[in-house]
Amino acid sequence: MREMAEGATGLASIVSEDFLRNAVDLLVRLVEAAGAIVIFVGALLAAVKFARAAIGRGQNEEFVRVRLGLGRYLTLGLEFQLASDVLSTAIAPSFSEIGKLAAIAAIRTALNYFLGKEIAEERAEVQAEQQGARPSAAVAAAGTHP
Amino acid sequence: MSALLQGAALLTTVLGLACGCLVLGRRHDVRAALGVLLEFLLAAGLLRLSDSPTYRSLATAAVIIVIRKLVTLGLRRDRRPAAPHPV
Repeated sequence: MREMAEGATGLASIVSEDFLRNAVDLLVRLVEAAGAIVIFVGALLAAVKFARAAIGRGQNEEFVRVRLGLGRYLTLGLEFQLASDVLSTAIAPSFSEIGKLAAIAAIRTALNYFLGKEIAEERAEVQAEQQGARPSAAVAAAGTHP
Repeated sequence: MSALLQGAALLTTVLGLACGCLVLGRRHDVRAALGVLLEFLLAAGLLRLSDSPTYRSLATAAVIIVIRKLVTLGLRRDRRPAAPHPV
C-alpha cells in the first residue's frame, strides 16, 4: 500500500499540472497554426487560380470551381481550428476563458456547417449545369459532323 | 506569431480585393465578384480569429459571417429563375 502511494506521488511529480498545461498549450498552438496555414495557403492558391482563369478566358464553371476549392480549404482549416478548441478545453482555468472558448467553438461549428452546405449546393448546381449542357453539346457536335 | 497572422490576414484581404476586381473586370458580374471578395474576407477573418481572440475580434468575425451568409442567400435567390405567373 505504501509502495503504491509512493508510486502515485512519483507519477504526479513527473506529470505535474504545469507540465500538462505546457504540453497541451504547445499542441493547441501547433494545431491552430496548421489550421491558419491551410486557410492562408488555400487563399493564395485560389488567388493564383483566379488570375490564371481570368487571363486564360476562364468559363463561368472554372470560376465556380475555384471558389468551391477555396471553400474546401476554409472548411479544412476550420476543422483544424475546431480540433484546437477541443484540445483547449483540457485546460481552461478561468470562467472568462471558458466563455470565450465556447463562443469561438460555436462560431466555427456554425460556419463549418454552413460552408459544407454551400459547397454541396454549389457542386449540385455545377453538376446540373454540366448535365444540361451535355445534350446541347452533343447536338452541336452532331450538327457539325454529319 | 501574432504579427505573422495579422500580416497574413491583411494579405488575404488584399488578394480578395484583387480577385474581386479581376472577376468583375473579366465577367462584368457584380454578384460573382462580391461572392469572391466575401470568401477571401472570411478567410482573413478566420486568420484573425486564430490570433489570441478578444471579444471584439470574435464579434467582428461573427458579423462578417452573418453578412456573408445573408449576401450569399440573396445572390442565390436572385440567380434562381422566377416562377411563371399564372395568367
